[in-house]
Formats: sequence, C-alpha cells, structure tokens
Amino acid sequence: MTLDGPWTPSSSLGVPSKPVETGKQYEGGMDGVRVGKRIIGAQAPVTVGWENIPRVEGGPVRQFVFTWFQPTMLLALIAFWYYAPNSIAKTSTAIGIGIGFKVLLLALEWVSPRHESWRLTWKELVTDLFYVGLGYTLLSMVENYIGSDAVIEAVQGNLDWDKLAWFMGLPLLVQAFLISFIFDFGQYWMHRGMHNWYPLWLTHAPHHFITQLNINKGAVGNPVELFLIGLGIGGFFDFLPRAALLAGTLGLAVGTYQHINVRFNSPRWWRFLFNTTEHHSMHHSQDYEATRSNYSSTWIIIDRVFGTCVDGEAELLGMEGGRRMSIRETMTYPFTEGWKTMKEQFGNRFGGPMAMPAE
Amino acid sequence: MNRRFIDWIWHIRGSLALAPRQSSDDAFSRLDPLFHQGGTSHDRTNDTLTFRKQDQAAQDKMSIFDGGILRIENGAGGSVLHYHLTSRALLFCFLAPLLFLAFAGATIAIGKLEKSSADAAEASKKAEKKDVELPQHPIDKALGAPAPEKPKKDKSEEDDKKHSPTAAYVFAGIFATLYVVGRILEDRLVRSLFKKKLLGSEPLRP
Repeated sequence: MTLDGPWTPSSSLGVPSKPVETGKQYEGGMDGVRVGKRIIGAQAPVTVGWENIPRVEGGPVRQFVFTWFQPTMLLALIAFWYYAPNSIAKTSTAIGIGIGFKVLLLALEWVSPRHESWRLTWKELVTDLFYVGLGYTLLSMVENYIGSDAVIEAVQGNLDWDKLAWFMGLPLLVQAFLISFIFDFGQYWMHRGMHNWYPLWLTHAPHHFITQLNINKGAVGNPVELFLIGLGIGGFFDFLPRAALLAGTLGLAVGTYQHINVRFNSPRWWRFLFNTTEHHSMHHSQDYEATRSNYSSTWIIIDRVFGTCVDGEAELLGMEGGRRMSIRETMTYPFTEGWKTMKEQFGNRFGGPMAMPAE
Repeated sequence: MNRRFIDWIWHIRGSLALAPRQSSDDAFSRLDPLFHQGGTSHDRTNDTLTFRKQDQAAQDKMSIFDGGILRIENGAGGSVLHYHLTSRALLFCFLAPLLFLAFAGATIAIGKLEKSSADAAEASKKAEKKDVELPQHPIDKALGAPAPEKPKKDKSEEDDKKHSPTAAYVFAGIFATLYVVGRILEDRLVRSLFKKKLLGSEPLRP
C-alpha cells in the first residue's frame, strides 16, 4: 500500500521497502524515523514505536488505576447499555452519561496531566466550550435541515421494516460493532479526504492549529468541518436504539481518548484495535508527515489495514510553529484562504495583476 | 460616560510594592522573560513597559492578555509596580452568554414557524406504519438483554426536542459562570505571577 503525501528526498535512500517501525526515539536530532516509505519526525519531535513511549509513573495504586481505567469503563458502559431497561435506554441518558464521563475525564486531566504544556487553562477551557456550545446549538439547528439527519428522516419515512429483519436478528453486540465500524469507516475516508483534497483541507486546517490535547479539543474547528464530520449514517440506526446506543458508547469510551491530557497504560490489544491519545497526538504533531497518519476516530485498525497507522506520540503540536488560531480566524479561515488561493490561481491563469511577482 | 465604569470587564489593573531598594531596571529585567514569548512584542523605557500579544500560545503564562502597560512609580514608601492589562478573552466570555441567548431565541422562533406550517400539513397526512414484532437473537435472550421494542415516535414530542432552547440556556449559564471565575482567577494569577518573578527565589515579604 503506498502512502499518499509528497515523496521526501530521503525516501529514495537504500532502505527496506517493507513498513518497519524502527522504534528509534527522537532526541534532539532532526533525522526522523523511517516508517514504511516515509520519514516521520524530520521537522518536529515525535516518538515512534510503543517501546519508546513512557509508562505511567507512580505507586502501585496509580499504576493500577491508569492501566485498568479504560477497559473497565468500556466494559461497564457496554454492560449498562446491554442490560438497561427500554425506558432508560434512550438518547437523553446517553447525552447525560457522555457529559458525566467528560467531566470525570476533565478531573483526571486536572489531577494527572500527561504533559504540563497541555495543561488546561481558563482561556483554553472557555475557547473549547465555545465550540462545544456551537455544536449543541447552532450546528444542531442547521443539521435538522441540511445534514444527514434530514436525509435519514426522509429515508426512514419510506422504510420497509421487514427488509431490515436480518440485521435486527444479529446478536446485539455484532449489530453495535457493525454500526460503529461502518460509521468509523466513513469518518476515516472523510478525514483522509480532508488531508488530501484542498477544499476539504481548508475546513479541517483550523483544527490542526490546536497546540494541546484536552477533552473538548475534538470540538475545536471551523463549523463547516464539524458539520462535514458529523455527516454519517449514525442517526440512521435510531430504529435500533439499543445497538445504536452501544455503538455510540464505543465512540465515547474509546474515541474520547483521542483528545485528552492524561497518560494511560493502554493494553496492547486496546492500542492495536483502538485509536489512542498517542496515535492522535502523532496526527496533530508539528511534523507534516506525522499528521498524515492515524485518521480513524475509534478503530485504528482501519488505519492499519490501509497503511496509514503510525504507532507513537508527540508533545509539540500545531501548525505554523505552534501559532494559536483565534476563534475569529477559525471561523473565517476556509473562506479567506480559499479566496486567496483562487485569486492566485485565476490571477496566474488570466494574466491578472496577481501574476506579477512582488518585488 | 466614563469608560472605566465598564472597562473593568476586560481590563485588569493592579499594583505591587517592589522590594526595598529594588530598582526599576532590576524589576523589569526579572519580568523580561514573560515578554519573550511567541507573538509578543514589547517596548521598554526607563519606568514603563508596554506589550502586545497576537496569536499567543496556550502555553504562554500571560496568554489571556492581548496587551498592557507596566509602570514603576517611585514614592516615599518605596517603588510600586502598576499594571494595566487588557484581555479580549474576558470580553468574549462576558459577551458569550448574550450570543447563546440569541441562539435560544432563534431556536424558539424557528420552532414556532415550523409548528404553524406543520399544523397545516398534518391534516392531509395520515400514514400509519404497521406494528411489527422485532426479532432478538437467542444469545441476547439467553444473556438477559431486554426485548427490543420499536421506538414509539411521537412526532410532536420529537419536534419539540429539536426546537428546545435548553442547551443554549445552559451554555449561556456556563459562560456567565466562567466569566466570574475567570475575572477573579486571572486577576489573582497574574498578580502572583508578577510577584513570583519580581521576588525571584527570595521569600515573600509581607
């Protein structure tokens, strides 16, 4: 599987063509590490390879908590949604649990930050919550009319329930897995598309200006992007409430850890199957090649299948040397940048004033 | 109206007594590292330092501020540092509840509009779906998962939820609370930051 992205000169050196993670840790030098056909970490510090990633430090209780927290919460949430009576298994309960879980994780960030440089400040919290607030209000208002919700409602209006009996007859956890996996598969390609097609990238770029990972950082970005990434088949399955809620809980109990300032000793099977903070910090690194990896939201195994997974982590995040993008620029960036590029393109093509080199 | 009556919303003012015999030169050189951050420009004369910040990093200890003036005045009782800092983040947080209240208003207005058009359309539409028995896999039955039931969709109830302004009200409340917290917290934080820098490793003086 070839990886997309520009070919770096060093890629043509005599090197193994099979993907090999050398596990070399970056320590000051800007040599980078060869992963498959790419050099990761030539522009900014990253750590490649699980064996180089530090483990949680501290006493046995701390080790225990930060090793078992993730699997225990996942199992507990799955058990809850599996057995909850129909009267409780509702979206409103899921929203409540989601908020409660995030508050718990915020507390964990507070008591046990992964990096001091990612520590949540008042300003960061306010900024993050502003985007979260937009998601709950403005975006949900818009999605009623032009997003996937509107399409799904139209499709469901003409649904023949008998044709879906085969899916509903599957074991509940299989249904939930399929819903989660299919949804994430769509997200993977939308996200990868955003990193490869300029018009989509314009909407996604503001999200890459974040310089630290905190619980609500997933919401930070241009609303157009949040709208696009929200498109999906998730809502389609609301006629299978329990399976859809179980699928949603996978997203909550796994996908949430993409953006969190806490270190966990995630089990090997977890980090093989699921996206982790480590994977996503790599994706947000200031190193260009590193950002072109780990696109999935929950199932990192999709990245493994398509050859875009890089196991590792980064602390130094962002774009343009870690410049923080203001809320105002985040809102206007896709349009102003798009306009600039169009002017350059058309200026060049038609010999307009933009074709003149600045002197 | 005197602007000072409202500009406390995003302006933070304060003063700190310097240590006895501490010169303004020494004080400013101790504070100097704070103004060598990304996106920060500063200008210093004998007793005054002005700074501006743009796109400041989250890791900048003074990231909440976009500009300010620090002045050292020599009085009979010793030198005093007076600072006057401005923060767009504080102003933004102060105004954010209004924005979310506007969203709440818009949600209610759209809901009313929709309802009147839906009422007109309702009479002509009476599509009833037949009730079907939903299947459940034997494994789930054996493990004791509750039997599935088709979601009872009450259209009007769902529409009400779609047009509920509750979320917007909650966020207006969150930002109002955050403003109060931030205005007090950031005032104290910057004071203790200056104090720590000015006194260096020396013990705090009363």
